[in-house]
Amino acid sequence: MNDTASAARVGRVEFTGSRHELFGIVIRGYALMLPTIGLYRFWQATWKRRFYWQNTVIDGDPLEYTGTPTQLLLGFFFALAFFLPIYVALFVLAMQESTLVVLGYLGIGLIVWFLMGYATYRARDFRLSRTLWRGIRFDLRGNAWAYALRRFLWSILMVATLGLVYPWMASSLWKYRWRNTWFGDRKFDIAGNWRAFAAPYYATYLLNLLTIGGALIWAVSTHDFVLVGALPVPGALSWLAAIGCVVVFALSLAWYRTRTASRMLSTVSCGEAALTVRLGTGALFGQFVAYVFGVLGVLLLLGLTAALVLGGIYAMASAGGKADAASIVSMFQSGTLNVALLIVAYLVVLGAFGMLAEVVLSFGWWRLLARGASLSNPDSLRSVRATAEDRALIGQGLADALNVGAY
Amino acid sequence: MEFAARYTDGLTADVRDVLGVIDLAADPVALVILDAQSREVIDRWPALDVYLLHSRMAELRIANRQKSPGARLAVAGIADTRSALAALPTLAQRQRAEGWGQFRILVLATAALASVIVAYLYGIPLLADRLVPYVPPAWESKIGDTAAAQVENSMTKGKGYVLCDPDPNSVGNRAIARFVANVFDGLGSPFSPHVTVVRSPIANAFALPGGRTYYLSSLIQAARTPDEFAGVLAHELGHVYYRHGMETLLANSTTGLLVGFVLGDMTGISAAAAVGTSLIDNRFSRRAEAQADRFAAETAQRLGFSPKGLVDLLERVARDDEFSRALALFSNHPLTDERRAALEALATPVADPRPIFTAAEWQAIRDMCPPAPPPPLPKPVSVL
Repeated sequence: MNDTASAARVGRVEFTGSRHELFGIVIRGYALMLPTIGLYRFWQATWKRRFYWQNTVIDGDPLEYTGTPTQLLLGFFFALAFFLPIYVALFVLAMQESTLVVLGYLGIGLIVWFLMGYATYRARDFRLSRTLWRGIRFDLRGNAWAYALRRFLWSILMVATLGLVYPWMASSLWKYRWRNTWFGDRKFDIAGNWRAFAAPYYATYLLNLLTIGGALIWAVSTHDFVLVGALPVPGALSWLAAIGCVVVFALSLAWYRTRTASRMLSTVSCGEAALTVRLGTGALFGQFVAYVFGVLGVLLLLGLTAALVLGGIYAMASAGGKADAASIVSMFQSGTLNVALLIVAYLVVLGAFGMLAEVVLSFGWWRLLARGASLSNPDSLRSVRATAEDRALIGQGLADALNVGAY
Repeated sequence: MEFAARYTDGLTADVRDVLGVIDLAADPVALVILDAQSREVIDRWPALDVYLLHSRMAELRIANRQKSPGARLAVAGIADTRSALAALPTLAQRQRAEGWGQFRILVLATAALASVIVAYLYGIPLLADRLVPYVPPAWESKIGDTAAAQVENSMTKGKGYVLCDPDPNSVGNRAIARFVANVFDGLGSPFSPHVTVVRSPIANAFALPGGRTYYLSSLIQAARTPDEFAGVLAHELGHVYYRHGMETLLANSTTGLLVGFVLGDMTGISAAAAVGTSLIDNRFSRRAEAQADRFAAETAQRLGFSPKGLVDLLERVARDDEFSRALALFSNHPLTDERRAALEALATPVADPRPIFTAAEWQAIRDMCPPAPPPPLPKPVSVL
């Protein structure tokens, strides 16, 4: 093989999955979540990962997810053990004096915040160690406790500096994650530093501070709000200003995310192979807009359905005469039926938004990343050798328990 | 029969284009992997050892349980996947068996979880019932003191509440104390409840663990007869007697754990967890309310006043509207008309009802917290 030719070659990254395929997985999972009292979520997560992984084709070969639902289920059981002491502590706390209660809740909040760092790291480890490409496993080494501590100390600094220290925090955590990531026996590296974050972060910070602060000051100074009780309700112009703030926020968020992800990921390398990522701000903002319209559409649809159902019941009642109407009214007064209706409504609304977020936002971001990425000198990776298996479960379980798992 | 595929041995990342050929002559039947160009044999996989992995559409991923975990034969394209599946019928069979196995695990886990939930719903009230007698009364009183401090704080936003009648030897306070002593006489309860009448615009009464009972002035003003006042007080004393506060504390402490398990969010901060927790907890508390009602009815029988006053007063201050009916399961009290029906079923008419308080005592109780005088008129602004 000619060395100069292989060095010049750039491997493409493609994404071959379609939204409707993912929608099928999500809707099936949701339907099965009810009869399994929520346990199907572990199968659901596995199916979703299989979908994302298998459809991400890097230089002609797809990723493969080898994790199983049973591993997730067992991991969750392990995580329960983490929470029993916290629950006991909460129980004992609830009976103490009020100052002690406040201090205790604060302490437990800090512990949970610390554990979330541990959990995210172990969840990444779980996913990477169950990811194969060309038959070789990825892995995340390093110490999850060290990562959690690092994240914890940085977040204290974040609070102390009102968020100004974020670029350094982000770069420190990115570096820890990527420099401990391995493909077989080859280590990843990342060259990016705080400069990659600084400009987008401070610009976004300042812009939103100006728009939100400006809108607030304007609303207060012109008294464009009505006090309902102690709650200020903004007037028409303030509403416009608030919507403007949200649009500016979404635009700047899309810009910040695409900009920093492009910059940082483009400095990631594995041996001689290097990643290049170019993400368009417009594409991500388009997804945000699509999501908002999706939410509005779903709300409209749900509202119409509810109106139809209630109207149907009412029509049935009035057709059946007064006696029937009374019996249906009394049926609606029974607590059980109402609670069943409430629960169904809650599940439908929550499920609809969850599915929408998955199909529009998660899918969109993943595809954007995959399509924007390319891999230079992919042939240098042919000599990578496999390492031993990693069968740790607990990290992912904790992530599920703390609700920090992504994808 | 042969098909094109991509092959990795799971040892290095060196992927190669190969041909898969089924060697039917071999015993057992084997899948032979040939180099695509030179047709040299790279490996032979016995058909018994190969299995299918999940893959995207129009692709087969074949693994070998005897080889390294990353060894793969990936077959892409509809024509090639068809011929591979036709050549190796065991592949599809094994995948079906695998799917069936997953289904069994899921069913088993669901059944286990369902039985935990059922055991919880029926077991915890029983368990809390059985556990409460083992909680030392002194401990419960201490918890009650802490709770009292919190309640007083939240009721008055830290300003300190107004005791209606701070003198324990006033006619009203002595009448109430006598009533409480009569109610608890001979019951063998470790607690001697203390009733505090507090000025408040909210018509309510409640008991804390350990026997501290609060009666808010608006509820006294709403009561038309001594029986009404006594009925509600007896109900609250029922909570003290059955140690419901402690029981709820024991029962609630584990609910979050269960809901968190079902929803997968152990932090329990999500709204769903809150709704679920309150649904389950209110099951306990409605049971406790019914028990306290029964206590009030029995007390009324024993002391000879009418138990209906309890519901009369409740009906006056908390009329069930459509909304409260809709939210019945979310509320910690049973609906008033359900309570009336239950109480009427319990009450045998008292042969010779006599007032539980003398007219003078009842007047004194009503006078403990006279309605607040109207707010003073704003001072006329004098322009000088």
